[in-house]
Amino acid sequence: MLITIVNGLTMASLLFIIAVGLNLSFALLRVANLAHGAFYLFGGYVGLSTMNYTDSWILAILVGGLVTGVLAFLLEFFLLRKVRGDNLRETLVTLSVAFILADLMIVIWGGNPRSIAYPEMLQGPVHLGGIVVPKLSVFIFIFAVVIGVLLWLLLNKTKIGMVIRAGVDDFEMVSALGTNIRFVFTAMFVVAGFLAGIVGVIGGSHLMMSPGDDWRILTYALLIIILGGMGSFGGSVIAALIMGFIYSFGSLYFPEFQLFLMFAPVALVLIFRPKGLFGRGLA
Amino acid sequence: MNQAVKWVFYLIVLLFLAAIPFLMSDFFTTMTTRVMYFSLMAISFAFLAGQVGLISLAVPAFLGVAGYTIAILETREILFFPYSAIAALGMVLVAAAIFGIFVNRSQGIYFLMLTLILGQIVWAVALQWASVTNGSNGLIGITRPEVMQFTVAGQEVGFYYILLLTVLLVTFGVLALTRSSFGMKLKGIRESESRMIMLGYPVMRMKWIAFMISAFIAGLSGIFLVYYIGVMHPSAIDLDSAAMVLIAVIFGGIYSIVGAIIGMGIVQTFEIFLSAFTSRYMIIIALMFLFVVMYAPKGIMGSIYKIKFMDALYQKWYTGRKKR
Repeated sequence: MLITIVNGLTMASLLFIIAVGLNLSFALLRVANLAHGAFYLFGGYVGLSTMNYTDSWILAILVGGLVTGVLAFLLEFFLLRKVRGDNLRETLVTLSVAFILADLMIVIWGGNPRSIAYPEMLQGPVHLGGIVVPKLSVFIFIFAVVIGVLLWLLLNKTKIGMVIRAGVDDFEMVSALGTNIRFVFTAMFVVAGFLAGIVGVIGGSHLMMSPGDDWRILTYALLIIILGGMGSFGGSVIAALIMGFIYSFGSLYFPEFQLFLMFAPVALVLIFRPKGLFGRGLA
Repeated sequence: MNQAVKWVFYLIVLLFLAAIPFLMSDFFTTMTTRVMYFSLMAISFAFLAGQVGLISLAVPAFLGVAGYTIAILETREILFFPYSAIAALGMVLVAAAIFGIFVNRSQGIYFLMLTLILGQIVWAVALQWASVTNGSNGLIGITRPEVMQFTVAGQEVGFYYILLLTVLLVTFGVLALTRSSFGMKLKGIRESESRMIMLGYPVMRMKWIAFMISAFIAGLSGIFLVYYIGVMHPSAIDLDSAAMVLIAVIFGGIYSIVGAIIGMGIVQTFEIFLSAFTSRYMIIIALMFLFVVMYAPKGIMGSIYKIKFMDALYQKWYTGRKKR
């Protein structure tokens, strides 16, 4: 029971970092980046290779994040900018990139499930007031909290955050007021890709990585966004927690319907609050 | 185009299609069959995308619902053809009615995201609910019903002819539907949903019905797929097959039903020929898809319709008005 809660929290932490990046870039650019799951897995695989060459987990996380950040930049700068304004084509572009990346990953890293070795410092259990918890889970939870707090501070306490929040509400007005909103778009997209890559490496250590995980993670992230509400930071936190717990309890008690159960709260929310739990509803 | 010439043209195409099992090699016949049942799925997609403007990635999910219903009923010897097929179509309509309520609350990109999730859910249930669907092993041993096994001149053509007839009926049915008053209203929703609401049309209900029609066609495709290959496997309804349909329809031109069939033919041909050289042909198909989306968003039929009298045809069929 307790270990299930811990697993749920760990999963929620991972999903939160993935979903919040996707959510912010989605709210700002109005592009559902369907390549986000592919970024996650690509980051994980790059981290795996880095780990094999250098034996440094920290370096693996950084390299994984940087590579996906660059990928996100290339996608935004060279492809999405060409079709800006046409929502459907933007989404289709990200979808085709996701397929190209998915196949590329099978070519480079093969189709077998892989896992990233993590440093001894994080292996083994830790005792927290009578509960035995894996050290890695504690690390992931703290990591997610740190990232969450940093993002929250960035969004709510800095000038950049002001621009981003204003852009979510009305990006035409923001650009009319003299902000280079295109640059903010690209930056946000790259940050989202960077976060996805980082989580890819950490998630690859905690879970397994295999082809098809990119779509699984993307589905979870999209579920969280719809549940929490587009462009809502707090909504992503709550929704990630709900999804994380459904994931862990579902796999324990109803392994045959685990993904189906994850859809249930989303269906309820869609009936009673179509904008999501905390969404303000974007046009 | 002259009426008589048009009918002669149609007749020649029809005769050629009917003669394929006798004239061509088994390989070619198999390919044509494959293209035909996937074309049903493409039509289902193109109907929603082109007429109502909703991009649904859940089309393979309905193929899966129909296919799995037949596979489960027949391997457990509960029901047999034709009752299993009727049950399958009934299941598809029920599933589409329920899903339709959820997805029709959204538009545009949100609709695409929701249907993507929906497709993934159905796929996950097919994969995870192992006690019923047999999980990743799939359900095997579904035999083609005897009705579909008749022979003509020593050649087994029953399945081919019934499929051909279905595809033709569905194609002309959908084309007729797009020209009916209901089709016109759907186009109105595509162009401006708020205006249609303001004019007093029951927009939600019409979108819901359109969603069910699309699901029904995809269900037909599932029936033929499961009877043809005799196996129902989760990989038939994963995201790759949704992408295949999407790519085919975008290739063909999103506003065109005929284009959807042509596009599916192209994609299937590519898949067969490329898979002879490499198993990672998706990269090439995805790259081509990227190219089409970036530089030729209206697809092949979009380019063909630029020719003058084809444009007149296009105006007549798809926009519902003669060009002045």
